[in-house]
Amino acid sequence: MRAGTILRAVWLIVAVGFMLLPVYAMLVVASAPDDTDLRGLVFNGFHLPENIGLLFGEGNLPTYLRNSLILCVGTGVLDVIFSAAAGYAMAQLSFPGRRVLFALVIGTLALTPMVLVIPVFLIVKELGWVNTFQGMMVPGMISAFGVFLVRQFALGIPKELLMAARVDGAGEFRIFARIAAPLLKPALITLFLVHFLAQWDNLLWPLIVANEQELWPLPVGLANFQSEVGITYHLTTTAALVTAVPPFILMVALQRYYVAGLTFGGLKR
Amino acid sequence: MSVLGRVRARPQATAGVALTLPVAVFFVVFWLVPFLAAIYLSFTDYEMAGTPNWIGLANYERMFADPGFLNSAWITVVYTVCTVVPTIVLALLVAVPLSRPGRLNRWLRALVMIPAVMPLAATSMVWVIIYSDRGLANTLLGLVGIDPQSWLTSSDLAIWALVVMVVWKSMGLFVIILTAGLQALPGEVYEAAAIDGSGAVTTFTRITLPLLRRTLLFVLVISVAGSMQAFVPAFLLTGGGPADATQVLPYYIWANAFPYEHMGYAAAMGMVLLAAMVIVSALQFGFLKGGDE
Repeated sequence: MRAGTILRAVWLIVAVGFMLLPVYAMLVVASAPDDTDLRGLVFNGFHLPENIGLLFGEGNLPTYLRNSLILCVGTGVLDVIFSAAAGYAMAQLSFPGRRVLFALVIGTLALTPMVLVIPVFLIVKELGWVNTFQGMMVPGMISAFGVFLVRQFALGIPKELLMAARVDGAGEFRIFARIAAPLLKPALITLFLVHFLAQWDNLLWPLIVANEQELWPLPVGLANFQSEVGITYHLTTTAALVTAVPPFILMVALQRYYVAGLTFGGLKR
Repeated sequence: MSVLGRVRARPQATAGVALTLPVAVFFVVFWLVPFLAAIYLSFTDYEMAGTPNWIGLANYERMFADPGFLNSAWITVVYTVCTVVPTIVLALLVAVPLSRPGRLNRWLRALVMIPAVMPLAATSMVWVIIYSDRGLANTLLGLVGIDPQSWLTSSDLAIWALVVMVVWKSMGLFVIILTAGLQALPGEVYEAAAIDGSGAVTTFTRITLPLLRRTLLFVLVISVAGSMQAFVPAFLLTGGGPADATQVLPYYIWANAFPYEHMGYAAAMGMVLLAAMVIVSALQFGFLKGGDE
């Protein structure tokens, strides 16, 4: 029994160590003074602050970072608002078209972006939104996942609570804003987090719709980083590290919600 | 009740429509209409310039004579199988001991989240360095006496370089999901098994795996769907190369649609990919549901 415990601990430490090795290598290369040593095993001084300073002093990283923040926070907030309204209504209110809408949401969950990007691009082009922020943001503004997540969560709001408020003479919008929305908070935080992380990592759509460098978010910027003047391997790694920081901070702050988002659908019946 | 019911129903209907209207309009404009448009385009010869002409099934026929498509379809199959199976097996091997209580495990569970939360774009740039001539991959091989390899520029190795990165990247996520699933399992069953003197392997195959079936199905479905749609690793690490060796189907669709502007043909390939995904998901649900009773 005791031997089993030790064996398990050793295996876990080795396995998790291997999982962290590339992260460690990233830290080492991102902190290097130049790109003579790319092994990523031994720290050659700690030049991370200078490297970050260099990337923020000149070059496009600050622009990419700003664009990513606008994109992720902007669409994240909109997704939360619209999904909260629609998810709540679909779970708790009876109105014409509810079933059709639910079928539409479930149906879109199964669609792959590879099918949609071509016609959505043509629509965005028709609207004159190519190379604009709205072109990058609007098509990804609401996710079927978000509406579905809120709906599942809102099914758990007790009907009696809403009925009591109606008997007291509260209007439907007031009930949504004052009673339902606060109860939905955990689901909405999870949704914001999931949306933010997915959008932060979205390469395909901005790549298609934004050709102008001033509009690029981080994934597109990173893809072209190597071709920028004066950029070397170790500075690309520093940029990758900077890209990983905001999701990391969010994950640490909202760990519980992160796990809830990942396991949604896996545990619930 | 009927009078009261009617009075109550009206404001509910108004509020319901008002609260869902923006989402309904959005889904129609950016999902339903594009989906129908994609079906239509797949039967046309549409190139970015000019008007679409109906050509019937010609795009679908063309696919099966197009070596580029056949190559991509095959690579997607290899890539999907070779990323999904090792990822799930390894994630299970880590998650089962990791889900036990204890201070060490609590720390390790927090650490596992770090690779899981790294953006794929950042991850890919880091692995470009790891796979470079003087990078970590060759350094580690050197320790066991193997010659340095050109991971991303060799048409034999490039696909495996991608597979290793993706296994590493998705493993973190799946360890977290499986650990959460394992921790939700009822403890009494394990106590009973221990009293009956059931060994670790028997407990795992007879108790853990069947109880975990739902979580496993979830992990399987999302990892297969993720691999079949994977565009970013091929785009960032190899650009589909060398010599199309990593040109997975999503990459081939993208390349046809945007740089080459063969939108009709790309739309048709998108439809085939979608059909394949639907069939594969249905098979997985059927397979794992089948064992339920």
